[in-house]
Amino acid sequence: MADFQTSTHRAKWIFSPQQLVEKYRAANQRAKQILEKCGSTLMEVDVDGSLSYPEPRMTEKDNAEKHSRAKPISIEEEQCIRVFYENKLQEVCNNFRFPHKIQATALIYFKRFYLQWSVMEHQPKHIMLTCIYAACKIEENHVSAEELGKGISQDHQMILNYEMIVYQSLEFDLIVYAPYRSVEGFINDMEEFCNAGDDQLEMLKTLQDTARFEVDKMMLTDAPLLFPPGQLALAALRTSNALHKVIDFDSYLRGIFSHQNSMHTISELSESLNAIDSWVSKYRSPSDKELKHIDRKLRPCWGHSSHDEGKKREKKSKHKSKKSSNEAQNMPSLG
Amino acid sequence: MGDGSGSNRSNSNKPEWLQQYDLIGKIGEGTYGLVFLARIKSQTNRGKSIAIKKFKQSKDGDGVSPTAIREIMLLREITHENVVKLVNVHINHTDMSLYLAFDYAEHDLYEIIRHHRDKVNQPINQYTVKSLLWQLLNGLNYLHSNWIIHRDLKPSNILVMGEGEEHGFVKIADFGLARIYQAPLKPLSDNGVVVTIWYRAPELLLGAKHYTSAVDMWAVGCIFAELLTLKPLFQGAEVKATPNPFQLDQLDKIFKVLGHPTLEKWPSLANLPHWQQDTQHIQGHKYENANLYSVVHLSPKSPAYDLLSKMLEYDPRKRITAVQALEHEYFKIEPQPGRNALVPCQPGETFVNYPTRPVDTTTDFEGTTSMQPSQPVSSGAAVSGSMAGGHVSNRSVPRPMNVGGMQRIPHQTMQAYNVTSQAGISGGMNPGGIPMQRGVPQQQLRRKDQMSMPGYPPQQKSRRI
Repeated sequence: MADFQTSTHRAKWIFSPQQLVEKYRAANQRAKQILEKCGSTLMEVDVDGSLSYPEPRMTEKDNAEKHSRAKPISIEEEQCIRVFYENKLQEVCNNFRFPHKIQATALIYFKRFYLQWSVMEHQPKHIMLTCIYAACKIEENHVSAEELGKGISQDHQMILNYEMIVYQSLEFDLIVYAPYRSVEGFINDMEEFCNAGDDQLEMLKTLQDTARFEVDKMMLTDAPLLFPPGQLALAALRTSNALHKVIDFDSYLRGIFSHQNSMHTISELSESLNAIDSWVSKYRSPSDKELKHIDRKLRPCWGHSSHDEGKKREKKSKHKSKKSSNEAQNMPSLG
Repeated sequence: MGDGSGSNRSNSNKPEWLQQYDLIGKIGEGTYGLVFLARIKSQTNRGKSIAIKKFKQSKDGDGVSPTAIREIMLLREITHENVVKLVNVHINHTDMSLYLAFDYAEHDLYEIIRHHRDKVNQPINQYTVKSLLWQLLNGLNYLHSNWIIHRDLKPSNILVMGEGEEHGFVKIADFGLARIYQAPLKPLSDNGVVVTIWYRAPELLLGAKHYTSAVDMWAVGCIFAELLTLKPLFQGAEVKATPNPFQLDQLDKIFKVLGHPTLEKWPSLANLPHWQQDTQHIQGHKYENANLYSVVHLSPKSPAYDLLSKMLEYDPRKRITAVQALEHEYFKIEPQPGRNALVPCQPGETFVNYPTRPVDTTTDFEGTTSMQPSQPVSSGAAVSGSMAGGHVSNRSVPRPMNVGGMQRIPHQTMQAYNVTSQAGISGGMNPGGIPMQRGVPQQQLRRKDQMSMPGYPPQQKSRRI
């Protein structure tokens, strides 16, 4: 793949923790202001494909009515919603048996998208599916929007409506570097490093499998927006190695530094790896209760009445088979 | 990149991006869509020429054109003086079509070769051939070292910059079929895109499933030969069928010139599907004698021949790579390659004034043409004296052939003229951003008047002439 060193990924999409906080804050702030002004925040994709916010409220009465219902959600609550949908995204990709690479690309697209937007402005369910669709297109695993939509009982037109907006929000920087490939690379390197015999090769395979699993976890945190893929891969391998004790990790790291003209020192690297580990250990899935609470706040922001939706849902589940009520569970109330 | 991300644009009906440009006309057409020539209006870079490639919307239900997306995603990651520069991406939300804005290149190898063959009737001078080839390899080496295979190199995709800072610089273009190595590589036919077979490597013709960077080097070899002889080297008749039919005639043309490949020289040949399956056809009648040197009129001992034959090596594993080719002796002997491939450094040497690209000014961004047939453009050098007299500024108006070394008028002059004529005709109002020129038949103007992007308000009546 094109060189990471000269990539848009490295140049534009690796941030400091402060920068991330700033971006999340700015998107949240903007949505709050829109809510204040318009009574709801969901952006509409117009007939001509462009975006617009809801019309500002006209009357005082209208104003008062909606104002009483729609309350903005906080930055932390936005985070919970994103985490929830990132998990969904992994689930959907697993159900379709997409390769890891596609899942990782879609996740990174999703994360980058919500650096520019608040979940109050664009429904994450739609964006999640569109990110998967886009990732398939980019990674040459083309799946038609229709197929994708069908697979999860969603209207595929929505995917097509959002596709361009997603590309635009990603600033057309579509080549992303996921840590999975770096893990493979390091494993190959480790084979050489320890001059591996057959049984050791077997151990390295185990090391790799666990590391990939660790990467899966990292991909759900903010770490991919903060660290380059090589460091994420090394952190995953270090954790995996702590469990399996396959190689002397410190001397392996020293080895890397001896044959690479690295710009970093070994202590800087360790610091990054520690920071990545702490992102993973800090990670927490929101509880159902929390999600329900946030959902209740989000609905009015999107201009949905929670009451109406609830009714519809009831009706739906009455008429549908068991299978689709399972689907509905997969895509719970946050529709 | 990409305009308007995040801004609320519901109140504006005209695409803002279109207003940044003066549309000059259509300069090309392909399976992907159309290419237009436009000029930048803004103060910085005023008058700078831009090629705008409009991608057709892909099949219904397929969303944004994958070809366009692939081209954008690769071009966003690469910067090299011998690779075309993507300066902007514009979106027409109405039909979800994408417009890619590139630095404009006045020439391409297809037109340069054609000009020599049909107009000049003499070969391209050695300095130019060598400089074009060196720069092509330089760009290709950059791509290959970034793990990108172009897959569709042919003379019309190799652009050469016209007058300006980068005069005579080669720019590799058209990355719609380009791939990153590790991505699963599908046969070309899977993309539903027809690619000319003349530059296709023998391993692909024989059904190899995996592309390597060596396929690009084969194409460079074919292009090198074409620069020398002004004729396509292997001009096979294409079998039109889907998917991916066996191109026997193309292989036959190659074998005739290079001799039959042998398992001895190309061991993995045995594994190629068509070599096994079509034994009687392919292995049937044999051409024993290679006669490449006589086809390209080169001495078998010349460095040029040596390099060419290494590019046209059958076995992709033995074929010369871009980086090796750049180091070849051919580039070390006189005349040495230069940065301006069209104009040799040595004073006194003759050089050819290549014609500018024909522009069809009757086609608007929507790709619709007026009733008026496109006016013929005489080839011949850029601008003749009559232009300086302010007679016409429109490139679609027939121009007399250039007689000997007339220099072009600098852009500024044309631009200034453009501006005044615009103000004069439209009274300063030209919401569509479409340049209006004096001396253009009325019919055409009326057509422009109606030019509208969907969702455009009808244009002001006062503009009618």
